Amino acid sequence: MTAGMAQSQGWVTRYFKAFCKGFFVAVPVAVTFLDRVACVARVEGASMQPSLNPGGSQSSDVVLLNHWKVRNFEVQRGDIVSLVSPKNPEQKIIKRVIALEGDIVKTIGHKNRYVKVPRGHIWVEGDHHGHSFDSNSFGPVSLGLLHAHATHILWPPERWQKLESVLPPERLPVQSEKESLHGSP
Amino acid sequence: MSVIWIRAEEVKHLFMSLGHLGPWWQSLHRTMLRGILGKTFRLVGYTIQYACIAHCAFEYVGGVVMCSGPSMEPTIQNSDIVCAENLSRHFYGIQRGDIVIAKSPSDPKSNICKRVIGLEGDKILTSRPSDFFKSHNYVPTGHVWLEGDNLQNSTDSRYYGPVPYGLIRGRIFFKIWPLSDFGFLRDSPNGHRSPGD
Repeated sequence: MTAGMAQSQGWVTRYFKAFCKGFFVAVPVAVTFLDRVACVARVEGASMQPSLNPGGSQSSDVVLLNHWKVRNFEVQRGDIVSLVSPKNPEQKIIKRVIALEGDIVKTIGHKNRYVKVPRGHIWVEGDHHGHSFDSNSFGPVSLGLLHAHATHILWPPERWQKLESVLPPERLPVQSEKESLHGSP
Repeated sequence: MSVIWIRAEEVKHLFMSLGHLGPWWQSLHRTMLRGILGKTFRLVGYTIQYACIAHCAFEYVGGVVMCSGPSMEPTIQNSDIVCAENLSRHFYGIQRGDIVIAKSPSDPKSNICKRVIGLEGDKILTSRPSDFFKSHNYVPTGHVWLEGDNLQNSTDSRYYGPVPYGLIRGRIFFKIWPLSDFGFLRDSPNGHRSPGD
């Protein structure tokens, strides 16, 4: 083995060691960031029209999902949230929070006309009623299924905006036990 | 005039002593403060790195858990320490008879530890022990039916209904404390509870 080859081998092992060190630092930090702080996701489907995906299948919105805001499971009425689907754990669904625990909601198409949301649960609905698989189909969802709070639309650029937490007035709960932090809607 | 001259001398002496302070300050900054600042940043960096590795390990591999409560006796006693693995959850390999940790449906910040009695589509005896008439129900899609081994003293699916699969955090498969009970966990002492699965 010549001196030149020994030198290049040393370079390779040093590079490999540096790569491993960087890899084991970067990957856990990146994964933790995407799991706990924020990530982005493409919205599919028409259940949240016109707030999300107004163009239908032509252009899907890309939203910023904020995990940090829901780390203590605090949501307000009107927030757009993503959650694990109660009917299919492999899928995430994105809907608007209509009612919190203790509220009584007037349902659309549910088997009971009025439902009281149990402790630790929320009532979610898509903005496009009739085209949405939401609490009107599967009932109140447990807060443990909450995934993230969708705060901004990032793509396409002409739809850059902050998503507002507004509750359509016809969907106000019939009776609320908890006042939201920003005062009654 | 002599008074002013003395004052100027004093000022000159003051500036000269401050001048000596300069190099002293510079050496202090170089050794101590920059060392402390550097060490603090390194400590913060290591903490973040290890916290991220811990998160990835518990989220995707598994961890050690302490259970409290009487609802899984005699399989798991109060204050037992067990090992949980999270790979089964991610690959959807939870079976009937597995002991799982899940988020409580009524309180997302606390965890429950129960046995899986039925998967989606199974027919389950859903009436409470106090009910006179027995009722059967099918476990809905995407849900599981959980019961504690200590049927007399367990708040489980017989009380709050089927639990969505998405709330399951991991599967408990091994007990490490107390040492007298070290080893893999037993089957349910209650036998098969779902007729015709």
